[in-house]
Amino acid sequence: MTAFDFSALGFAVRRDIPEAYSAYWEVLAAPGNWWTGPERVAIADASREALSCEFCVLRKQSLSAYGVNGIHKNSGPLSGRVVDAVHRIITDQNRITQTFVDDNAANGLSKAAYVELVGIVVTVFSIDEFHRALGISLQPLPEPKPGEPSFELPDALVEDMGFVPTIPAHGATGKNADLWVPGSAANVVRALSLVPDAARGWQQIAGAQYLSLQGMQNLVQDDNRSINRMQMELIAGRVSAVNECFY
Amino acid sequence: MMLRASAMTTDTEVDLQGVVGNKTSAATGIAYGAELMSFAESIALRDEHSIVESRDGLLAAAGPAVLVDAAGVAANFQRMVRIADSIGLPFDYMDSTMVQEIQQELGLKRFASSRHSLHPDEG
Repeated sequence: MTAFDFSALGFAVRRDIPEAYSAYWEVLAAPGNWWTGPERVAIADASREALSCEFCVLRKQSLSAYGVNGIHKNSGPLSGRVVDAVHRIITDQNRITQTFVDDNAANGLSKAAYVELVGIVVTVFSIDEFHRALGISLQPLPEPKPGEPSFELPDALVEDMGFVPTIPAHGATGKNADLWVPGSAANVVRALSLVPDAARGWQQIAGAQYLSLQGMQNLVQDDNRSINRMQMELIAGRVSAVNECFY
Repeated sequence: MMLRASAMTTDTEVDLQGVVGNKTSAATGIAYGAELMSFAESIALRDEHSIVESRDGLLAAAGPAVLVDAAGVAANFQRMVRIADSIGLPFDYMDSTMVQEIQQELGLKRFASSRHSLHPDEG
């Protein structure tokens, strides 16, 4: 298993953080539901390239997120359509539309593949942002593992919110019973449930970086944190406001 | 909304304008509030110079354990905003009076992503 080493910082990092990151690196390298291991690692690599993509800078400055033509920085094996989706999630996420997701689905990037891609991009980005915040080098991406995707979909799906189908709030049962307590899922918890492993991936990282789903019920202070809930929510609120995220 | 909820739970007076970048407001009722707000802001803006400056400020004021936990929360919400917007999530509690007051106070309906939660005649 890849070891995330923070010893260069000169002070301690809670052990559950590198443990969660190492576990995710293992999952990232393996075949998923809709992408192979090499494809998943390539998606992660593309998420890093997005931050130095000149076309993304140009598009971000444009009034229309869909009226600018150009070519993304792309040194990997992924198609232009896939790279475009990855880069939009990193650099222009609040202008993603239902039409964009539907058009991709009609042209080879299925909604399930898109959801798995979103899960990879945002989780790797989040781990990378932790490193950048502390001023340390990014962890090299893992070596991909061989194998084929499972192409497995959850049994019960609904289209009652957002751009993609999800498991309904009462539908986290059977092999997906670990996703949330049935009937009590906020929209963001259901968001990636079209690919349950994508939902599990971010939940596990969130449990180390922020709070577990259960821990979120504690509005005062988690015993394993040095900051209280108000301090956490001030940080969360400021990050969301700068990103112009209404949710 | 969760900042207001946690403040109510602990009977603490806070000023939500800290969320939109006011340092004095951020420090109201919240230990190291100004430093935490500046650190979060610099991470979300992804400005290297201000990240270094705000990180040094928070480390000096609050110590490494607070810095590490703050970095974790900021990194976490760099992800969460992208999940919400990439999937077009509507906000769950739009009918809540408290939520509507907060949205009004902070001017959140100006954000493009509010279209996922508002009726066409709102905004």
